[in-house]
Amino acid sequence: MRVGIPRGLLYQYYYPFWKTFFEELKVEIIVSSPTTKEIVNKGIEFSVPEICVPMKVYTGHVEQIIDKVDYVFIPRMVSISDKEYFCPKFMGLPDMIKYTVPGALNKILSPKIKSDSDSIANPKFYGELKSRLGISTWDLHRALKKADKAWNNFRALSKKGYILTDALDIFEGKKVPSKEPTFKDGEVTIGILGYVYDIYDPFISMDITDKLKELNVNVLTFEMLEDQAIKDSIKFMHKKLFWTFSNKLLGAGYHFYQNPKVDGIIQVTAFNCGPDSMIGKMLELESNHFEKPFMTVRIDEHTGESHLQTRVEAFIDMIRRKKMAGGVSRESNLSPYGLNTSI
Amino acid sequence: MKVTFPHMGSTLVYRKLVEMLGHEAITPPKPSQRTIDLGVKYSPEFACFPMKVIMGSYVEALEKGAEVILTSGGHGPCRAGFYGEMHKRILNNLGYEVDVWVFDSIKRDYKNFMNIVKKLKGDNSWLRLWTILKLLYQVTKDVDGFEMQLQTKRAYETKKGDCTRAWDKIQHIYNSVQDEKGLKEARQQCQNLIDEIPVMIIPEDQKIRIGIVGEIYVVMESAANMKMEETLGSLGCEVRRSHYISEWIEHNMIPKAFSKSHEEEILKKGEKYIEIKIGGHAKETMGNIVDFHEQGFDGIIHLMPFGCLPELVSQSIMPKLMDDLDIPVLTIALDEQTGTSNNLTRIEAFLDLIRNKKRNRLSKVS
Repeated sequence: MRVGIPRGLLYQYYYPFWKTFFEELKVEIIVSSPTTKEIVNKGIEFSVPEICVPMKVYTGHVEQIIDKVDYVFIPRMVSISDKEYFCPKFMGLPDMIKYTVPGALNKILSPKIKSDSDSIANPKFYGELKSRLGISTWDLHRALKKADKAWNNFRALSKKGYILTDALDIFEGKKVPSKEPTFKDGEVTIGILGYVYDIYDPFISMDITDKLKELNVNVLTFEMLEDQAIKDSIKFMHKKLFWTFSNKLLGAGYHFYQNPKVDGIIQVTAFNCGPDSMIGKMLELESNHFEKPFMTVRIDEHTGESHLQTRVEAFIDMIRRKKMAGGVSRESNLSPYGLNTSI
Repeated sequence: MKVTFPHMGSTLVYRKLVEMLGHEAITPPKPSQRTIDLGVKYSPEFACFPMKVIMGSYVEALEKGAEVILTSGGHGPCRAGFYGEMHKRILNNLGYEVDVWVFDSIKRDYKNFMNIVKKLKGDNSWLRLWTILKLLYQVTKDVDGFEMQLQTKRAYETKKGDCTRAWDKIQHIYNSVQDEKGLKEARQQCQNLIDEIPVMIIPEDQKIRIGIVGEIYVVMESAANMKMEETLGSLGCEVRRSHYISEWIEHNMIPKAFSKSHEEEILKKGEKYIEIKIGGHAKETMGNIVDFHEQGFDGIIHLMPFGCLPELVSQSIMPKLMDDLDIPVLTIALDEQTGTSNNLTRIEAFLDLIRNKKRNRLSKVS
């Protein structure tokens, strides 16, 4: 029995859980290779043109492993928080893959995850796996418990300040945890807002975190913050967003605005991302209020790396000039940049 | 109080509701190029098209002096449920002091819901409110029924534009209905109006029936879908939509215990393609296509706003569904780029294919 796990979407966030889970069940797993141009092209071939790039990439990953496995694991992520959901594309993902990728029709394992917290270990979600993989209830419970523990350890690494990719490497034993997880000596601190599948897929985000480190910048992301801190910073909103991860990003955004250590915010968003169109506008409006620079970088399947480099460098330069002794103290004295100058 | 509301299809019911409760209704003008321009200017770039059009409508209504915006909310995960909040923030940022009353699902926020109802009710008694709602429900049912008749007749009218003119008159007649008695008179008057429209006789086997499915706003608001219904009608097609206001009311307002709504059945029909409700109208879209197919429709036009989250899922599954049912579907994504002739060409080509297919059952449209 072989189960495939596509290296896309929530892979970066839940892989330690899935891996431990299947290993405990003595099921061999096959993970698709890191994103390449070929995978992206395959993804484009099988998905509708308008859909966002992470979805296209995911489709490509499924296509890569579909012939080599008995099942592909594509959980139907409905919610991981009370009264909140995932983006509709996540909720319809198994249906979408089932009918678009050739050969996927009967090969999809899609337990319906409808949890009220980030933990996805409730055995009642995984009922359908028992018959299809031939496992007992007891085995299922045990494996889920182990998986949850592994996942919590992994989340703890993030909260210590490890970048998600490093945390994954540590989980897999490729790296030893160092004493100083964060890069702390940068001149500038930037909060990056973006979904895990955009930022940590080196192909999609063109390694934006590394680019920033090279520019001597400290990087903060939402998964490094405590859940409670994120929740508190959007407590004032009467009606919150419907999407859990978008709420996390929005909360992190407000947190970054309020945190005096953070000098600026870069939002990394995929072309045509629906939830981000809302977050982007809200944070853009707030940027004036908090007088902190905010920039949106929009990405898609085109690979113009230099444009990203230029924009990020310009943004950092601008912040540096502002911080320099005797430099420009007020933002409005700077030359126009990005989206935030006027509305 | 001067109350306004979004412009979605016919504004008759909203306007009457507001007026009968004793407020002043500021009806936004039918969305025009100016509306769209205003909406695009102030909305987030990648917001969906309905949000931009509604944004423009609000700005125009506020220019006419509206003080309160009345709209429906939602509980996600479609973006439409968040429009109210977003519009409010943007309008406030533009310097408009406006109240936005969002009707969220009664289960999600009971207090807020009742609050708005009370504010809207004003000094009217609960009994009066009930009478008004009952009357308006009948009005929507009547008007939707007449609209369906016109959607059929428009394909065969001898004088182009007769049906559209009749439709305007019907709305005008119903606008002055105040009680049950007036309702009966209006009903008779409108039926006569429709019966008087001269039509050509077309043999049954040459009739073409097209279903329009998709996201509710672009399906219902003709200004947002480049007058899809009229275009299809003028090309000789009978048309049905997947959304009518009366059905929406049945599904959303009337408790399930009292009625088995049409939409429940539709949802069941869509289950094979999209297992769970994923927000918006994606599952309904699939169900509606299956339903139209069972009713013997010849083709489907699937309308979606560019980048619509739920409809992207249904669009992805569409090729498989077309194969399964052997029914042609044309998906059109709509946004502020209004290239009418581009769309017209696509629709004409689509109808040619359907006509050919009908003429020669053996040829397969792929």
